[in-house]
Amino acid sequence: MSECIVITSGKGGVGKTTTTANLGVALAQQGRSVVVVDADIGLRNLDVILGLENRIVYDLVHVIEGTCRLKQALIRDKRLENLSLLPAAQTRDKNAVTPDQMRELIAQIKGVADYVLVDCPAGIEQGFKNAVAGADRAIIVTTPEVSAIRDADRIIGMVEAAELPEPQLIINRFRAKMVERGDMMNKDDILEILAIPLIGVVPDHEDIIVSANRGMPVAFDDNSIVGEAYRRIGRRLAGEPDVPMLDLSTPDDLWTTVKRWMGMAPAREVAR
Amino acid sequence: MMDLFNRFFGNRGGGARSKDEAKQRLKFLLIHDQVDLTPAQLETMKNEILAVIGKYVEIDADSTEFKLERDDHCIALVSSVPVRRVVERPASAPMPAAEAEAAPAV
Repeated sequence: MSECIVITSGKGGVGKTTTTANLGVALAQQGRSVVVVDADIGLRNLDVILGLENRIVYDLVHVIEGTCRLKQALIRDKRLENLSLLPAAQTRDKNAVTPDQMRELIAQIKGVADYVLVDCPAGIEQGFKNAVAGADRAIIVTTPEVSAIRDADRIIGMVEAAELPEPQLIINRFRAKMVERGDMMNKDDILEILAIPLIGVVPDHEDIIVSANRGMPVAFDDNSIVGEAYRRIGRRLAGEPDVPMLDLSTPDDLWTTVKRWMGMAPAREVAR
Repeated sequence: MMDLFNRFFGNRGGGARSKDEAKQRLKFLLIHDQVDLTPAQLETMKNEILAVIGKYVEIDADSTEFKLERDDHCIALVSSVPVRRVVERPASAPMPAAEAEAAPAV
């Protein structure tokens, strides 16, 4: 049975697009057929993160308006045959599409894929309403910052108002060192406030920038810890909820070891 | 000496951790995002509630406590109103409880 999952956050710049691309790759690596949909009409970016920007001929609005068929607009990823992208229109705006049209489009895509991942635009207006229209469930992406968590809380309320089941949370840009010294909210702090189930924690890492530069999602990189974080989320998403969380805690450096031995280091925050 | 040692090793000791501040600010923000009342309106509401309670019992106005608390996605108005004694009244009227816990869901 096919499923449509919308990736949303409220606040911009927390990593929705990167998350969508990498979860698409992770699910496709498990042998599922996946279509990632860029619902950010007017500000398309998912194509760039996936490195498929040079192959766009038709887009989502063309399909909805009947200019082309769905198959013509889907861009197949040459690195992973069962992963495709439906790009957003760049020269139109969010009002070019209605929630009903999106619902119909998503139903059509579900006919050709196991998973449809929708990259939701930032904000709470028309773009959000379009993106959640055809979704069966939602994933909320947040970072351990006051502003991102505040917006995530708002979006959780809107997802519930859209009558989707309880969403799951991804904590992005997690910095274990900062958590360990008490300068970043940890997993439990965030869960206490947002009160939805956690599906994964993704560390803040240079690999993300490098992968975006190259148009090669980090989930393709077997040696990257961030790639591993996404691959594990992909497995949890596809019905393996018990895949263990990555251990993101940093090893003590020499001085911390000495201080701990002398009883002078502060109690350690758990950064899992 | 200890101070120097701590500074040298970057140990901030038991000082305030910025994440605690973040958490406190967030909790306050989320309550006030949901309950769209100004501090002045909250104060008026508190005074009106106290006036109603005051009709039944004599209260210790200085040690009353009114606060908004958040649990999951539900906000509750939690109040603690110490009662000194019951106001003289006809026997037929219902007796109010000593400690009022009002929790209107928002």
